[in-house]
Amino acid sequence: MTRGARTAAVLVGALLLLVLADLALPRLINSYYVTILARIGVAVLAAVSLQLVNGFTGQFSIGHAGFMAVGAYTGAALSVYGGAPLLAALQEWLPAPVARAVYFPAPLLAGGLAASLAGLLVGIPALRLRGDYLAIATLGFGEIIRIAILNIDAVGGARGFSLSAPAGVDLRYESLGLIGGVVAISVAVIARLCYSAGGLAFRAVREDETAAEAMGIATTRVKVEAFAVASFFAGVAGALFAHAEGYVHTNSFSFVRSFEIMAFAVLGGLGSLTGAALAAAVLTAAPELLRGLGEWRMVLYSLLIIVTMLVRPQGLLGSRELTLGFLRRRPALRTPEAE
Amino acid sequence: MKALLELAGVTVRFGGVIAISRLDLRVDGGQLVAVIGPNGAGKTTGFNVITGFCPPTEGVVRLDGERIDGVPPHEICCRGIARTFQNIRLFRSLTALENVSAALAGARRSGRADVLRGAQWQRREIGNEARARELLGRLGLARFADARADSLPYGEQRRLEIARALATGPRLLLLDEPAAGMNPSEKEALRQLIVSLRSEFELSIVLIDHDIPFVMNLCERVSVLDHGEKIAEGPPEMVRRDPHVIEAYLGTDGEPSAAHA
Amino acid sequence: MEQFLQQVLNGIAWGSIYALIALGYTMVYGVLKLINFAHGEIYMVGAMAGYYTAHALGFATEPSLTGLFSVLLLSMAACALLGAAIERVAYRPLRSAPRLASLITAIGISLLLQNGGQLLFGADPKFFPALVTSRVALRAGTVAVSNIQLIVLGTAVVLMVGLELVVMRTRFGRAMRAVSVDAPAAALMGVPVDRVISGTFMLGSALAAAAGILVGLSNPKIDPLMGLMPGLKAFVAAVLGGIGSIPGAMVGGLLLGVVETLVSAYLSSTYRDAIAFVILIAILLYRPTGLFGAAQVEKV
Repeated sequence: MTRGARTAAVLVGALLLLVLADLALPRLINSYYVTILARIGVAVLAAVSLQLVNGFTGQFSIGHAGFMAVGAYTGAALSVYGGAPLLAALQEWLPAPVARAVYFPAPLLAGGLAASLAGLLVGIPALRLRGDYLAIATLGFGEIIRIAILNIDAVGGARGFSLSAPAGVDLRYESLGLIGGVVAISVAVIARLCYSAGGLAFRAVREDETAAEAMGIATTRVKVEAFAVASFFAGVAGALFAHAEGYVHTNSFSFVRSFEIMAFAVLGGLGSLTGAALAAAVLTAAPELLRGLGEWRMVLYSLLIIVTMLVRPQGLLGSRELTLGFLRRRPALRTPEAE
Repeated sequence: MKALLELAGVTVRFGGVIAISRLDLRVDGGQLVAVIGPNGAGKTTGFNVITGFCPPTEGVVRLDGERIDGVPPHEICCRGIARTFQNIRLFRSLTALENVSAALAGARRSGRADVLRGAQWQRREIGNEARARELLGRLGLARFADARADSLPYGEQRRLEIARALATGPRLLLLDEPAAGMNPSEKEALRQLIVSLRSEFELSIVLIDHDIPFVMNLCERVSVLDHGEKIAEGPPEMVRRDPHVIEAYLGTDGEPSAAHA
Repeated sequence: MEQFLQQVLNGIAWGSIYALIALGYTMVYGVLKLINFAHGEIYMVGAMAGYYTAHALGFATEPSLTGLFSVLLLSMAACALLGAAIERVAYRPLRSAPRLASLITAIGISLLLQNGGQLLFGADPKFFPALVTSRVALRAGTVAVSNIQLIVLGTAVVLMVGLELVVMRTRFGRAMRAVSVDAPAAALMGVPVDRVISGTFMLGSALAAAAGILVGLSNPKIDPLMGLMPGLKAFVAAVLGGIGSIPGAMVGGLLLGVVETLVSAYLSSTYRDAIAFVILIAILLYRPTGLFGAAQVEKV
C-alpha cells in the first residue's frame, strides 16, 4: 500500500469509529458515564496542552484555566449569538446530526483562536520573567481573565452563561465522537510538535536557556510559541466543555482548576504527554466514580499530590512516553559508517 | 584584508566595576588565537560581549565589518559565531544526538510550523538526524548518541559541547577553557582535534585557557588580559617573555600572586 | 476630603493585615527561595484556632482585652507549631529536589488545609466571637476610628516592631539573614540552617495567625476558604515590596491595602479583587524585584 493510501485508510477508519461511538455509546451506557467521558476528554486535552509549556518548555504556568475560560466563553458566545441561526439554516438542508457535526468545529476553532490570542497577550510580557515570577504572573493573569469575564453581562456575568437557543436548535453537544476525535487529533499534533527536530528547541530552552540562545535558538520566541499553542488547545478544551455541559460559569475556571490541570501534568510526569493524559483521565474519572466520598475527594487528591512529590517527584512516567510500538514507525535511515 | 571579527574600544562596566577596558581585538579568517590572563581578567566577559550576552558599555564589535554589538545572541549565532562554556552547559537530560540536533535545527531556523509540511518535513528530519550523527562520529562520540548528555564522562561532555557548537555551522568558534580538568594525554588529543577541526570546518578559533603550555603549542597569536586591559599581544614566544605578563601571573617579587589561578 | 481620609484609614487597617501575612511569605522566600503557597491557609487556621479557643476558654461570652490577648497568643503558638510541622514534613525532604517539586507540594498542602478545614470545621461560615465590643474610639468630623481598628493597627505595629528587633538585634535574626543571603556559606560558618528555617516558619506562621485573629475581630464571618484571596493578595504585597525584603513586605502590605480600598470606594467594588492582580502584573513587568528588592544577575 502506498503511503497516501495508508493514510486515507486510517482516516476513514477513524472517522467510522467516531461516528460509531457517537451513535452507539449513548445508547449503550448511562448518560452519566457519557458526561464523565466527555469531562475526561476535556481534562486530557487541557493537561496535554499544558504539558507543552510546563513539561517540555520548562515554563511554569499556573493560569491555564484562564485560557480555557476564554475559549469556553468565546465558543459559547459565538454559538448563542451567531451559531443558532446558522445551525437552524443548516438543518434545513441536512439531517440534524450531520448539520450539527458540520457546525460544531466552528465554535471550537473560534474558542481556540481567541484563547491563543489571549496566550500571546499574556505570554509576550510574562515570559520575560523567570521561574517563580512567571508562575505568579500566570496565576495573576488567570484571575484577571476570570474576574473580567465575570463582569461581562453579555455572557451572563455572575449568573453564568447558558447555551440556550430557539426551539429546534440544540446547541448542547455532548458528542463523544466529536470530543474524542478533537482530543485525539489535538494530542497527535502536540506530540508531533514536541518530538520533531524543531521541537527540540522547547526542551533545549527548558534545559539551559543561555546555551539554547548561544546555539541559535530564539528562546523568547520559542516560549511564546509554546504558550500560544498551549493556549489554543486550552481554548478548544474550554469550548468543548462549554458545549458538552450546555452551560458555563467562571467557577469552573478558577485557579483551583488551574492547579488541578497542573497536577495532572506533574503527576503524570513532566516531560510526558501520555503521562499527563493518563493522570488526567484517572484523576477525573476516579472522583466522579467515587462520588460518595464527597468532601474527602479533594482531601485525598491533595494528599496524593503531596505524597507523590515526596516519594516520586518525577511523576508516574517521568519523561518517558507510553508508546504502542507497532503504531510508531521511525523513518528508515542508512546507517552511517561505524566509527 | 577585512577582519572576520573586530573589537574596537570595547569597555564593559557593571555598576562600579570595570570588567573590560578599551579592548581592541582582531581575528582574521582561519586564525587560531588565544586570550589568556589571570582569574577575573575579563576573558569570559569578552566572550559574552562577542556572543551578545553582554552589550558593551562603550565600543563596537564587528563581524565581517558589520556591527553585532546589541544583536541578540541567537541572531549572532546564526551569523556564524558559536561557543562553548567555561562551566559545561549541555542540555543535560537530552541525549548527545538530541543536543546536536537541537543546535542544527536552531541554526537552520527550523521552525515549529514545519511539522505541518508533511513529506518535506520528513525528509528534513531524516537529513537533520544524519548530519547530527555525522558530527558526533567526527568527534568520537558516535557510541554515546543515545545516551543522556549528563551521563557522559567529563572529557566526552567537553567534546559534545564542541560538536554541538559545530552543528550551528559557524565561521568563528569560541572555546572557553576547553581543556579544563583534563589530564595531559587528553589535552594533547584535544590540541590535535582543535587543529584538525580548524582546517576541516574552515574555522577561525579563539581560545581561552589557563594552561600556558597548552596555549603556546597551539595558537599563532596570544592576547593577554589583566584586570580588563590588554597588556600584551603577539606570537606565543614573545608574549611568554613579556615582563608585564610575567608580573600579572607571578607578581612583582617572582612569587605567585593572589591573582594567579 | 473626609471621605478620602476615612478610606485611607480603612485601607491602612487592611494593609496592616496584608503586611502581617506578607511578612511570612517574604521571610520564607528569603531563607528557602520557596513561595509557601500554604501560608494563606495558616492565616485561616489562626482565625479558626482563635474561634475555638475563645469558646473553649469562655471568652466568647465575656468580651475582654485579656481574653483577646490570650486567644491571640494561643493561636499564634498553635500556628507556629503547624508551620514548623509543615516545613519538617513536606518541605525539608524536598530541599535538594528541583524547585518545582517544592512549589507543587506547597500547593498540595494549601489544598489539603482548605479541604481538610472544610471537613474538620464544616464548610459553613462561623462567627468569630466579639472579644471586644466595637465602638468609636476617635472622631474628627465625620472621620471615625473604631477601637477595633486601633487594636488592629496597634497589634500589627507591635508585632512588626518586634519582628524587626528579632531580625536585626538577635543572634537568631542574624542567622536568618545569613541563611537568606547564602545558605551553604552560613552552614559552613556553623549556622544551624535547619533550625533557622524552622524558626523562620514559626515566626511567619505566628504573624499570619495574628492576622487571622485581627481579621476575625474586624470581619467576624470566617470560613475554611477565607485564606485564599488574602493569601494571594498578601503574596502580591510581598512581591510589590520586593520578595525577600522585610521592610518591603510591610510597605507593600500597607500600600496594597490603601490602593485596594481607594479603588473599591472610588471606582468599583467589583474590581476590588482584580486590583491586586493588576498591581502584580505591573510590578512583574516593570520592576520585578519590587520596591526594596535587589536585582539578581545570572553568571553566564
